[in-house]
Amino acid sequence: MGSEMINRRSTLKSLALGAVSLLAIAAGGTFSAQAENKMLKIGFVGVTSGPAAAWGTSNVRSMQTRADWINETGGVKIGDDTYNITIVTFDDQKDPKRAIAGMEKMAQEGIRYVVGPNVDDGAAAVRPVAESKGIIYFPYAFPKSLYVAPASNAVLGMVANYQSGPAIYKYLKENKGVKRVAFIAANESDPLSQRDSGVAAAKELGLEVVAETDTYQTDTRDFTPVLTPIMQLKPDLLVLSGVAPANAPLLIRAARELGYEGLISAETAQDATVLQEGAGELANGFISVGGASTPEIRTPMMEEFIDRYIKKFGEYNDESNTKVYALEYIIETLKANPKAIDDVEEFKKTMDTFSAPNPYAKNGTLKYVGMTSFGQKRQVSVPMVVTEFKDGAFQTLFVGEVD
Amino acid sequence: MEQVIANGLYLGAQYALIALGLTLIFALMNVLNFAHGQMYVLGGFVTYSIYGQLKLPFVIALICSGVTLAIVGALMEKFLFRTVIRRSKREESTMLLAAATAFFLDAVVLLLFGEKQRGVPKIISGVFVSDRVILPYDRILVGVVAIVMIATFMLFMQYSKPGRAMRALAQDRIAAQLMGVKVERYSMIGFALGAMLAGIVGGLLVSITGVNSGIGGPISIKAFLMVMIGGAGVVGGAIAGGFILGMMESVGLTVLRAYGDITYLVIFALLMIFLSIRPHGLMGKPWG
Amino acid sequence: MSRSRANTVKIVSAALFLLVLLVVVPLLIAATGRSDLYYTLTSVALLSIISAGVWITFYIGRINIGQGAYALMGGYVSAILVMNYGVSFWLTLPLAGLFCAAASVLIGLPILRLRGVYFAMVTLVLTEVTRLLALAVPTITNGASGIVSIPLPAGISFFGVTLVPDFATLANPRLAFYIVSVLLMALCFLGLYRLAHSRIGQLCQSLQQNEELASSIGVNIAYLRIIAYALSSFLGGVGGAMFASISQSIYPSSFTVADSVNFMLNCFLGGLGYVLGPMLGTFVLYFGWDLLFETEEFQLLIFSTVLIALMLVLPNGLLSLTLPHKWRA
Repeated sequence: MGSEMINRRSTLKSLALGAVSLLAIAAGGTFSAQAENKMLKIGFVGVTSGPAAAWGTSNVRSMQTRADWINETGGVKIGDDTYNITIVTFDDQKDPKRAIAGMEKMAQEGIRYVVGPNVDDGAAAVRPVAESKGIIYFPYAFPKSLYVAPASNAVLGMVANYQSGPAIYKYLKENKGVKRVAFIAANESDPLSQRDSGVAAAKELGLEVVAETDTYQTDTRDFTPVLTPIMQLKPDLLVLSGVAPANAPLLIRAARELGYEGLISAETAQDATVLQEGAGELANGFISVGGASTPEIRTPMMEEFIDRYIKKFGEYNDESNTKVYALEYIIETLKANPKAIDDVEEFKKTMDTFSAPNPYAKNGTLKYVGMTSFGQKRQVSVPMVVTEFKDGAFQTLFVGEVD
Repeated sequence: MEQVIANGLYLGAQYALIALGLTLIFALMNVLNFAHGQMYVLGGFVTYSIYGQLKLPFVIALICSGVTLAIVGALMEKFLFRTVIRRSKREESTMLLAAATAFFLDAVVLLLFGEKQRGVPKIISGVFVSDRVILPYDRILVGVVAIVMIATFMLFMQYSKPGRAMRALAQDRIAAQLMGVKVERYSMIGFALGAMLAGIVGGLLVSITGVNSGIGGPISIKAFLMVMIGGAGVVGGAIAGGFILGMMESVGLTVLRAYGDITYLVIFALLMIFLSIRPHGLMGKPWG
Repeated sequence: MSRSRANTVKIVSAALFLLVLLVVVPLLIAATGRSDLYYTLTSVALLSIISAGVWITFYIGRINIGQGAYALMGGYVSAILVMNYGVSFWLTLPLAGLFCAAASVLIGLPILRLRGVYFAMVTLVLTEVTRLLALAVPTITNGASGIVSIPLPAGISFFGVTLVPDFATLANPRLAFYIVSVLLMALCFLGLYRLAHSRIGQLCQSLQQNEELASSIGVNIAYLRIIAYALSSFLGGVGGAMFASISQSIYPSSFTVADSVNFMLNCFLGGLGYVLGPMLGTFVLYFGWDLLFETEEFQLLIFSTVLIALMLVLPNGLLSLTLPHKWRA
């Protein structure tokens, strides 16, 4: 009887597993590869569900839009072969433990280039896997330890706040007479680290920091209580450190409705529709580091990308202005050095000298930067577009560059 | 300081309304509804679609939110919770079911409405400004509506026939059954009512704070806190809990800000100390 | 069927199971080249250890949604000892567990008086409290920046004989972590089985049913509850420490409320009445999610639908399908 029980138990396990895997296969079977071209798989590990879903979703959608576009127009020629791009995604649910599993999965699939993760803890957790399995990954996380040697496999996919913050504060100090700055951040790793570097940058510029310890829970829906004491300090500039696109309009609205008349800024990319819906005209004048593209600097190719994105997913996300770049950098670098297609060491060598015209921004160049911040080229160069929100759209204040 | 108290009162009214539905479902069925926050989110999106997208009047949108959620709640009770309660050996199993429904609603909302934060045009613009207090009119309105709804709900529970039946059910299920209360029917009505409250408050607050598909879980947890302070399964407790939490947040964020990032740590620690002194909250049932 | 024969069958099947995990699985992985499975299986083993802790608290009739707090604590204790004091990781593993056990006694003394949903909700808050604490004391925990670049576990030698090799020198540290985790899991569930069948286990079951009655027949329930909760937290701490070492980093957000809820779900799903419940529950939940990876945006929808269906069909846990009464703990 004992052995029978064991059999039945294992049968049950395999049944349960079998059922789930059947489902998986059925869904997976809908993919069909085009026969003529070779396939180049590019991975994504990041968050596409839960409260932070917006971050990863804009990555995945940018990548899929661009990949479909490339495949539709016959693929991309790297060396002697033409490839179709396949995007392999993994939702880590913002859990670093899952992110590791995702990176292992990418390694298993033979993927060498991965976009993500979206947050600090995930990016730190996947580092051992990426380095041991030979994967280059493009996190949207700012800790310098990821990019400074001996770390060598991570490439920052955007402009870090310790790069954009000083530029914004300097501009506002010189052009708008800002003297007193207040900071507010969510009590989570990423925003808090960004706040700390923002405070340091502001102090260095000789600005008076009147509030630097105020924080809110990420699930806060009503920001009036947390903003009330700060507003009484009458700062000239309120910095929303590391603010999530979902919270920005709520913070802006609460501050304005409390009678705040100074400037508000953020160093993370925001979403125009979300701002317009959530805060309306109260958001006018809000300064943020835009999604690396504005109508003024956009090329026809960027316009087409946006069109295709909207056709595919219904609504554009301004964050994708930045997130379109990682895949482009990977492909262009591979084109420059076809050997890198399965050897990331070749990729790293090419990074030092790589340069190509930027297809998305007028007069721009694709190149790797980061010497000042990290001592090695471990960051993609995207236009640092500082924008001002006005009546539902971002308008360019100034465009900068990271070195 | 007046501003801080006004903030706290407004926050409290909104919290109390959120906690009501949760505590009602708990009182009737001993189910800790993990999906409460997701119901709130769904209600928010219904209002967003009807008021924000279709441009129909806000009141109609609110009613639609309530009706949609009442239907969802009734279906959930009839086809999910009733079955599991009957078949399960331990009543905690409903917690797993509730968590699974929470995931399910999360997934549905994410697929239908996307991952972005959504908002609607203000229902009334303008801000009330005096020397000491600044309050936007829409917040005042929402606060008043919340209080009116809480009062209506309490009157309904106190005097109407279904209200009385549900209270009997909450007090003693078996005795209520013996006295001729149709237990299944009123469980379903109660669940639908609880869900409806979540939906309406979700819809109501869209006008102030918007809605996004990820906030369901955190809202549930907030609601648990309030219910815990006041005592699970008691309507008065949920209301008291909501106001206490709202006031603590408002005052704490002002008074403790000089000490850095500790307001919520202090609130949670106080809560744990309070509960170890009063294990059933302010007015909860001892067997809760 | 005699009792001793039943016991023999149990021991043989447990040994077989362990043999499969330690020998057959690595061979299969080597044959198929699916080396990513090492990490996922390691995760399952560790998560099931942490979930086993939750199971123990269920055993005393408490719903514990705060296990993530102890996992986080354990991770930090181990990381801090390794990084700041140069203690060997292998020593920090039990130390992390003991630290959590001690902390849980302090926390448990007041909160174990709570019952039902009150206990559940307080523990739910506990995870958040620990996260906020980790952020609030940056001098100890390095605050928001987390602790990163933790070295891999060093070796243990005994009179010149290498008992455990230095993980950093291994060609495949994933395999080593897998072996360690499986052994820890085996130890944990062996202990759990012993516990469930000991006198304390029987007493705990009486608590589950009726605390007043148990105390009236002279059971020191307060003491019993504290012991069980401390054991539970010990397992949480050990699991957390292992995770910190594998990911070579720990952040305040490494274990969150969502993890705590998952640990509880694992127990529920496997079945609260069965010692092996947490293991099976973790396995199914983790791999269920992983297999649904292919379905992309429908992942969560399918996952939750399956979960709801399982609850409708098997509300007493997966193991209720197969195990006759005798196997119940």
